[in-house]
Amino acid sequence: MIGAGIKRGTAELAVLSILEDGPLHGYEMARQIEQQTKGALRFTLAALYPMLYRMEQRGWIRGAWEISSSGRRKRCYRLTPAGKKKLSPLRKEWAELFGALKRLTKVSHA
Amino acid sequence: MPDWQELVRQRLSSLALDAEEKDEVQVELAAHLEESYEVFCKEGLPEKEAVHRTFEQVADWLDLQRRIFIAKRTGYPMQKRVHQLWIPGFLTMALSIVFLVMLQKLGFNPRMVSWRDSDIFFYAPWLVSLPFLGAFGAYISSRAGGSRRTALLASIFPALALTLTFLLMFPIGFIVERIIGSQVDFSIVAASLLRDGIDWILVPGAALLAGGLLMHLLFSLRSSWRETAIG
Repeated sequence: MIGAGIKRGTAELAVLSILEDGPLHGYEMARQIEQQTKGALRFTLAALYPMLYRMEQRGWIRGAWEISSSGRRKRCYRLTPAGKKKLSPLRKEWAELFGALKRLTKVSHA
Repeated sequence: MPDWQELVRQRLSSLALDAEEKDEVQVELAAHLEESYEVFCKEGLPEKEAVHRTFEQVADWLDLQRRIFIAKRTGYPMQKRVHQLWIPGFLTMALSIVFLVMLQKLGFNPRMVSWRDSDIFFYAPWLVSLPFLGAFGAYISSRAGGSRRTALLASIFPALALTLTFLLMFPIGFIVERIIGSQVDFSIVAASLLRDGIDWILVPGAALLAGGLLMHLLFSLRSSWRETAIG
């Protein structure tokens, strides 16, 4: 099980990555992240929305109201150009971190 | 099935956002809970259990309320302001000045209209371009996520900047008058400011605002068209 601190750090990367494939509303975003990470990352409503609003304030994502086929109003989030720009260095940072940890654990087990 | 809208409304009643923003948050969260509940029901959970599992997503509503408020009210307000107002505003102003200078270089003369013993200048080609420039400012601001008010402020930014300059002329003129010791007839200054205010602020400002409003209308139509298309 991944610890809470690491989860918090990866949450923004997860949201940006999932939105790279297309716009999604909050519930669908949480469901897809959970499915794709096989349950390692799980967002409750309380964890997801403050983060989405914060990312929207930063201009990384943009929400717009849309009406689904069931007639329900939903706020769909899209990646903005700023968000796309943010995604690539974030990915690199996390890849470097995990690479470093991998090397470290190999060394300590040698 | 519980009334999720009402339940969320009650629990987030003290959320200190403006009415429209608060309503949007409540509707969005209620839709999330409703969808969670429906999925739990489809998975075969009894209604009571499904409600319980749905509510488990929020352990502390007061804490959620506080975190939503912080997220909505902080972030990068300065950066936002720069992208939504200052950049579109200054771009609109720079383009309007460049276009005016170009017209003057090309030899376009202003049309003069007499009004109360004074001549008011109208640069017709320049005035015609201003709605487009106002629309451009509003477009850039809206694209950066600017609200309607911010987009309209960006579109009339050149007129606002000139208004500020005119307002500054009063105290500066007063100080200069004191220093050089000359008595300037206030009625002449007032008439001149009124005339220039019409020439350079009121009429151009109205043209810029017309463009900004039109762009805002187009944005609203596009949003409603998108809603209809998805529905």
